Amino acid sequence: MTGAPAALEATGLRKIYRGRGGGRVVAVDGLTFAVRPGEVVGLLGPNGAGKTTAMQLALRLLEPDAGEVRLFGRDPELLEVRRRIGYAPDAPLFPRRLTGLQILALHAELLGFRRAAARDRAERFAEQAGFAEPARRPAGTYSRGQAQRLGLALALIGDPDLLLLDEPTAGLDPAGVAAMRELLVSLRGRGAAVLLNSHLLSEVERVCDRVLFIKEGRLLRTHDVRAGGTRVEVRLANAAQVSARLVEEIPGGVLDGDRLRVPVASEEAVPALVRRMVEAGAEVLEVRLGGAELEQLYLQIVEGRA
Amino acid sequence: MISWPVARAAAREKLRSPGIRVVGACFVAAAALGGRAGAVSETFGGFGIAFLLVLTLALGAGLLSDELDSGHAQLVLLRPITRAAWLGGRLVGAGIALAALTAGAWAAAAVASLGSGHALSLSALAILPLAVLWGFAWLSVLAALGVILPSWTNAGALILGAIAWATLRGTLPGVLGHPEWGAAAAELSKYLGPQDPFALAEGRRALGPALYDLCWVFFAWLVAVLLFNRRELARRRA
Repeated sequence: MTGAPAALEATGLRKIYRGRGGGRVVAVDGLTFAVRPGEVVGLLGPNGAGKTTAMQLALRLLEPDAGEVRLFGRDPELLEVRRRIGYAPDAPLFPRRLTGLQILALHAELLGFRRAAARDRAERFAEQAGFAEPARRPAGTYSRGQAQRLGLALALIGDPDLLLLDEPTAGLDPAGVAAMRELLVSLRGRGAAVLLNSHLLSEVERVCDRVLFIKEGRLLRTHDVRAGGTRVEVRLANAAQVSARLVEEIPGGVLDGDRLRVPVASEEAVPALVRRMVEAGAEVLEVRLGGAELEQLYLQIVEGRA
Repeated sequence: MISWPVARAAAREKLRSPGIRVVGACFVAAAALGGRAGAVSETFGGFGIAFLLVLTLALGAGLLSDELDSGHAQLVLLRPITRAAWLGGRLVGAGIALAALTAGAWAAAAVASLGSGHALSLSALAILPLAVLWGFAWLSVLAALGVILPSWTNAGALILGAIAWATLRGTLPGVLGHPEWGAAAAELSKYLGPQDPFALAEGRRALGPALYDLCWVFFAWLVAVLLFNRRELARRRA
């Protein structure tokens, strides 16, 4: 740990939505968490758990009823703090008659880039987000996935030090999801902090360093994804026949039905592991990094299943 | 006070609206017809002034709500920009669109007038900035109304307000048995909104209405900013 402040530090956040009829819904209740530079933190929870509200509170798009948020140790409303953040909301909407490039250039200019530089940057980020061609059309013609890509490009256009992504893969095709994964890894590599709200557990497990399980606005548990190393889940055609031998040959392996879950030090160890399993007589159907650990944890923590 | 990137984006957006293009084309056509009669200074008289008004209403309708309702305003306001600058940018953007279309109408009138063998007078030149100023002052009123009213209803409220006041002004003194109040009401009317500054182009040294309109621009913007700040804080706390 360094002495540098967390990119995002939320303390005791509480938010109550008040309906017109006097109804009250506690959306976030005493939420405390931090995201440090170079860290990708995932928010997991069922619909209505308060994940989006937590993000909006962090950005001061909503005013908390209690608690405090600091970004880089400072007030989130300060203009110099805002220059360092990027936010991609769930299902973003844009001015219908402006093209994606014009919207990107507008945001780049607002971040302080000169007009020509802003235009260049708009082109570059549209290309990076994989929608260079649609970016020349008015935003009113975009599909959900294209709007999502524009939202992502907008969040990234200022090279933010803190990025908040609300369901960034919703509406994205598989290539978009893969690109998003690479992007998050590269952002972590350059020291940016990322808060990610996603329902794709496998993606969360692959890119996040920590996961916050949230339900009814409360933080149930923080799970350190990297603490246990990487896990591999291998689906076998003949699990019953080779189970005894596999448990003997593969230390730490746990057989669950037709799947063997094995902790590994890193991704590089996976080919050798699969080779050993094949040598032990296993017929491998599928290999997945991450496996079902997070899913099991989710069901256990959030849904209360054993 | 004004975000120029926001202003440019707002102007582009407005000029690409099919409705505004239609009104703008009608405005240009009406001005060209007026110019053929040789009266460039009358570009904004008769049909011309009607189209200038409709154009102003069309540009001001949904000036803020277009962005607020879509949620894009929230993304913009997360950038290092103040709410006042965003609002100023939206207003100036609509003003740029108004100026561009008004200049087009004026140019059409001038070309038609010169083509008919008439000369361009000083008053004909002066009428362009005065028309833009008048329209811009009304735009600022629409912006202030747009902070509290959704979608295009700011323009609707302005029209309804004008009709209601004209009805009251015309009938109330008679109904109450004080016909002399009619003159007072007419005098009061001048101060309830931006004033017609065209007297200046007609060679009369009446600077007052133009200055009054400038004040309207500033005060309406200020009121809009205050209301917008209150609205945003209330929304965040809701």
